[in-house]
Amino acid sequence: MRRIGKYAVVLGAALALLAALACGSSGVSQEEFDAVQKELDDTKAAMSGDMVSRDDFESVQNELDDLKAAGAGETMMMEGNRLEAVKQRGKVVCASNNSLAGFGFVDESGNTVGFDVDLCRAVAAAVLGNADAVEFRPTVAAERGPAMQSGDVDIMSRNTTWTTSRDAQWGNFAQTMFYDGQGFMVRKSLGLSGMLDLEDAAVCVQQGTTTELNLQDFINQNNLNISVATFPDNVSANEAYIGEQCDALTTDRSGLVSTRAGLANPDDHVILAGTISEEPLGPVVPHGDEQWYDVVKAVMAMLIYSEAYGITSSSVPTSVTGDTAVDRMFGLEGSFGQESMGLGQTVAQDVIRAVGNFGEIYDRHLTPLGLQREGSRNALWAAAPCNDCPKGGQVYAAPLR
Amino acid sequence: MADIPKALTYRGIPVWRHAVIIQWALQIVSAIIAVSLVAWFFFNIAGSIQERDIPYGFSFLSREYQTPIGEHFLPYESSDSFLYALIVAAVNTIVVAVLGVGLATLLGILIGVARLSSSWILSKLMLAYIEFFRNVPLLVQLLFWFFIVLTLPPVREGYVLFSRIYVNNAGISFPGLVGGNLQAVGVWVGLAAASIALGALVHHLLSWREDRTGKASYPLLAGIAVAAAGGAAAWLVVGSFTGEAPLVISSPEPHGRFGRIAGGVTLRAGLLVLLVGLVIYTSAFIAEIVRAGIQSVGRGQIEASRALGLSGIDSLRQVTFPQALRVIIPPLISQYLNLTKNSSLGGAVGYTDLTNVAITMTQTAPAISIFMLIMLSYLVMSLTWSLIGNLYNRRMRIVGA
Repeated sequence: MRRIGKYAVVLGAALALLAALACGSSGVSQEEFDAVQKELDDTKAAMSGDMVSRDDFESVQNELDDLKAAGAGETMMMEGNRLEAVKQRGKVVCASNNSLAGFGFVDESGNTVGFDVDLCRAVAAAVLGNADAVEFRPTVAAERGPAMQSGDVDIMSRNTTWTTSRDAQWGNFAQTMFYDGQGFMVRKSLGLSGMLDLEDAAVCVQQGTTTELNLQDFINQNNLNISVATFPDNVSANEAYIGEQCDALTTDRSGLVSTRAGLANPDDHVILAGTISEEPLGPVVPHGDEQWYDVVKAVMAMLIYSEAYGITSSSVPTSVTGDTAVDRMFGLEGSFGQESMGLGQTVAQDVIRAVGNFGEIYDRHLTPLGLQREGSRNALWAAAPCNDCPKGGQVYAAPLR
Repeated sequence: MADIPKALTYRGIPVWRHAVIIQWALQIVSAIIAVSLVAWFFFNIAGSIQERDIPYGFSFLSREYQTPIGEHFLPYESSDSFLYALIVAAVNTIVVAVLGVGLATLLGILIGVARLSSSWILSKLMLAYIEFFRNVPLLVQLLFWFFIVLTLPPVREGYVLFSRIYVNNAGISFPGLVGGNLQAVGVWVGLAAASIALGALVHHLLSWREDRTGKASYPLLAGIAVAAAGGAAAWLVVGSFTGEAPLVISSPEPHGRFGRIAGGVTLRAGLLVLLVGLVIYTSAFIAEIVRAGIQSVGRGQIEASRALGLSGIDSLRQVTFPQALRVIIPPLISQYLNLTKNSSLGGAVGYTDLTNVAITMTQTAPAISIFMLIMLSYLVMSLTWSLIGNLYNRRMRIVGA
């Protein structure tokens, strides 16, 4: 009997350990959480008919909050709190490119710079008042989805095409920063007259991008025979093109312009006319945090409208100008929703002073590459305050009011 | 009657010091811990997948893949399914693994034997080879070979050997047997294999008859004749059904505006670079294994064989090597596994191996599901190597030992 007793003690201890492990991992079960959530929804629905008292509603609301606090998973905690988390951390975590000149790359002095990079800096200026408070996470194309899904990244600004499935799976695309389309670069000496001349060519393409998929569509639609070589990043794809392992390099036209500018003899290469796809490039924020999403969109709006109103980094107003739209944007009068977003009243002043307006950012990074803006889709839609001064571009944002 | 000393009264071992019970208890506790850890891991992943809305499932397998696969040994169209694309990619990996293992073994044995050469220079040269290639990361070596291959002339200025073999930085093309219709090739290969089996059976039966009766029955001749006749008949039958020979000799030729090589068999640069990298890297390890194996054979064996009048080569081939194999094979198999798994770096040099294709697939299908399938595929390949190795090892054991 004594032996069996001891045996049972050992077994019991082991079972207790197992139970502790099982409980420790979940805390509050999804079912329990869902049940209370449903109760809350029911209560809300009932409230509209005045059948439930305010107290009832609040008690359920409290119950739900308690459950949330009890730790129904880390991401649940993050919800609505990314702005707070960023402020506490003192840094914006930004997934960036580090090898695409103009858009995002590391310069000689080791700084990450570029058109996309400046958006992260603008967000940091808006949230933390310091454009340098950014932690860059260099991310290659194929890693982008998992990086966003993990929730560790606050914003990804990295020449990423907005597509519906990415929007559904990766995170929320805030706003198109650059309108692009996929094209081909070839050697001028080949004398090609257009993309359809690529029959029997070898084409180098970067892996894990819409580029690969668009290329297949282009091949299918035009019934072409093209041999495709896939490389994990644009550096090796470029090297293979430079070494003539491929006849053509394909990616977004902006990327081609950027690559071409970096070649030994840019004039020996030509970007074929036309595009084979729509590539609206823009920043992405993780799913599940509306406030943070709004903040990023508002920052984009600040950049775009300060250009429209002709305000540059050196002419940021600090006292009332009399132009209500400008005064509202820079927090001198009225509001465009700063407090609801958890931003300071004069947030636009910090942003524009730190990175300049949209046009300044474009001129700083993309104009030197030869990406003509005037007359392109990437011009502003219209200058303000003029009511009918179309500039013909597609760059536009939610009005700041 | 004197009292029995207390120490001599046997009262049984206390349960907590009973060896059997302690062993069992430890086994049970560790089993419980292991199972709970696995369960915790599994439920944690499953929970996160649900919580973050990460797509999951296997319905994508029957969908059209619609993405190019650069190099493929099975026929592939972009309208083929994900499942078939995975098979195509797995065959790519198997081709590299089998070619790589064969070449690395040959090279490794040569280097291992040369390492033990009495020539000081040869031995030290091999030492340098082994130490260099063993101690530089494989990925670095692959990228090095990638850039080396890029320095070869491009296709339009490439070398032509015997006016049939084309060597350039896109790969090597040579004449070869090419099948037009996969099903026809499959049927013919199946029938040919059946004829060979039939031939072997005839050979076996006739040799048995010859042994028993002493009548000359020409078993080898008859066996080969049966196999050849079967193969030829199958060729004619398959050919008459499809209206063309199952396999035809095809010669490579420059084709189209870009002078890319079409026809024949082409080993593209990505495959060659990967193969060279894997073979050189793995051969350095195999050489050391071979050296260890040879040195494990007692000196007396070698001296005895020399005393019997065997030449150096004969002594190595007939006395040393068969004994060394017993030591060599188990670690050799583990190098085969390494080579197979290391082929997953192929993407870095533009080869469409299983992992490379899988990464591309994550663009349009759930990453977790794909990588579960990929892990399973590598597991099957590795276990197959182990099985082959174990079977061979069993045959090599000392009989009666």
